[in-house]
Amino acid sequence: MLEATKLTKKYGSFTALNALNLSVKQGDIFCLLGANGAGKSTTINLFLNFIEPTEGLATINSLDVTLHSKETKQLLSYIPENLMLYPNLTGLENLDFFCGLGGKNYSKEQLEELLKQSGLQVDFIHKRVSSYSKGMRQKVGIALASAREASVLLLDEPTSGLDPKASNEFSELLLDMKDKGVATLMATHDLFRAKATGTHIGIMKEGVLIHQVEANSISLPELEELYLETMKLSQTVSS
Amino acid sequence: MIRRIAFKEMKENLYEGRFRVTIIIVSVLLIMATWLSLNYFKSVQQQHADAKANARNIWESQDEKNPHSAAHYGTYAFKPKYPLSLIDPGVDKFSGISIFLEAHKRNEAQYMAAADQTGLARFGDLTPDFIMLFIIPLLIILIGYNAFTREQELGTLKLLKGQGISSWKLALGKWVGIFLPVLILTTGLFVIAFILLVNVEDFGELNYGVLLLMFVVYVIYYAVFINITLMVSAVSKQSGISLVSLLVIWIVVCLAMPKASSNLADSIYPYPSRQAFAADIDKDKKAGLDGHNPWSQAAKDFERETLEKYGVDSLSQLPFNFDGYRMQKGEEHEAQVYFKHYAELKNTFRNQSKVYQAAAIASPFLPTRFLSMALARTDYRAHWDFSDAAESYRLSLVDTLNMNLAVNSTYGDWAYKADRSLWKNVPDFEYDPPSLGDIIGRNWSNILVLGLWFLVSFVGLKILTQRV
Repeated sequence: MLEATKLTKKYGSFTALNALNLSVKQGDIFCLLGANGAGKSTTINLFLNFIEPTEGLATINSLDVTLHSKETKQLLSYIPENLMLYPNLTGLENLDFFCGLGGKNYSKEQLEELLKQSGLQVDFIHKRVSSYSKGMRQKVGIALASAREASVLLLDEPTSGLDPKASNEFSELLLDMKDKGVATLMATHDLFRAKATGTHIGIMKEGVLIHQVEANSISLPELEELYLETMKLSQTVSS
Repeated sequence: MIRRIAFKEMKENLYEGRFRVTIIIVSVLLIMATWLSLNYFKSVQQQHADAKANARNIWESQDEKNPHSAAHYGTYAFKPKYPLSLIDPGVDKFSGISIFLEAHKRNEAQYMAAADQTGLARFGDLTPDFIMLFIIPLLIILIGYNAFTREQELGTLKLLKGQGISSWKLALGKWVGIFLPVLILTTGLFVIAFILLVNVEDFGELNYGVLLLMFVVYVIYYAVFINITLMVSAVSKQSGISLVSLLVIWIVVCLAMPKASSNLADSIYPYPSRQAFAADIDKDKKAGLDGHNPWSQAAKDFERETLEKYGVDSLSQLPFNFDGYRMQKGEEHEAQVYFKHYAELKNTFRNQSKVYQAAAIASPFLPTRFLSMALARTDYRAHWDFSDAAESYRLSLVDTLNMNLAVNSTYGDWAYKADRSLWKNVPDFEYDPPSLGDIIGRNWSNILVLGLWFLVSFVGLKILTQRV
């Protein structure tokens, strides 16, 4: 379970994230929507402890990520916007390496099965990652999350740049993870994907979580309208 | 975790053409250098053995003659070729291989191999020590310059850190990933050298402890270079900047510092010119007793002192041949003159060595270079050692011959001829090189500085990788 309590990040006088309160429970997919610079990636980076909060608290399974960095990282799996793997190694070798770093050791057959389950084409499993598309790399990332048996998944615009088919496949994998009880926090620009896969949706602007709704309580047009209104509000505030 | 990162690093390197080509080139160069060295040393060793046997044969084949004439006839002391000179020939080519031993004169070593080469010899020879001291550090730079920068450029660093791995463990994994191929290469060279050495006939006694210590010295040298490479990679923003920075460091450490320290040492503590050195010796020799000049004031004084000491009125009443006795005393005076002037030379050498040792603080190359040569017994200290042993032998040889003349003949009896058995009874020149303990004792500061380089660079690596 992910929890942010008055989580704030400031860079000098600039506030990247302002008193964020957020809770993502097991089996939840919380989608954070917002324009560039809204604070989505900052939120993810704070949970990853890549940056330290100025104020407030970020916890994973009740463990403060700043105090229990190693333990919390064992619990989570992270897929950035553009998952970069080692291009000279195969998908299987990359998966084996990253699983090993997380203390999980699998046989070659098990790793192949994980990659197959993540939707990677069989004939690419033993090919070098340099020949992979972005979607294929993201699938290796999902395989890694499954392999690590992560209870928390942090995704930073994972479907950005993916073609609709690959994006759809990725969403299906996320739903599988949801069914396994994984708590997912996903930053995205894709309203349609957020509505289709998310259980909760948050709309951020200028470091503030303006709206927080349950996905099934709002239709896609309503979500779009709410989002655009928020963005207009943002422009008004800015001007 | 460290093992896994190291294994991944090696696997990635193996897949890269840059690494494979570099390793192949360095391996081929090492094999070529070892093969060339082996052939050269086998040939020189044979020449030494032949020349030594020939010189002894010529010495023993002398006819009956005045022993002092035999002292002037002279013989040679040959510097032994040491097994590890196969790996590091040091200054052997420039220090000469034999010393002509004769009465009244301490000669310099002669027959320098470098003198037989053309001006192209200035480019240096392809020897194993050249590959190990200059090329393998370059190999380390080529393998490791982008160890951290590449992770940043690829974007894999975030994913790595997301797995909960600490920067220090990541650095250690990368360290091992670079160290292992270098270790395999170095071990391969030493194993090949060992196999070759034990199979070369009459190649001298190989001290396994020295071989092992030389191996350890090189391994520490490479560890220092790995630390430096990783530190630079950790603080660089781009791989290109890291590579250029490391190449500049290599140029300074391996090329500029040794030459600069040599120039500095020579300007602070200059050696006298050969002419000035010879003139000073000549002047001091003339100020004392000349065994061949019975009319000099020094000879007259010595004659008077001897007559008083033995309580006799004339030289013919002495119980020995005064001519032989005077020549021996003249020899002893000359020996003292040589001792004094060579001591000054050695003092200059020691002072210059201190400059090198101070410069070693700025370059791990220098202590490694000196330790390697010292362990191979091909440094200037080993040459001094041999030169002193040859001088000691010369004095003993001349003493034996002069005293034979003094004891077995009477004053004015220039017709005396020693039996041929005398030449055979004079022992051949035997030389025990400095022991491992002596070498360590003389090089403790180099060992200390190299050790400090390792420790300080390792601590530096730990501190700087925190920023990754």
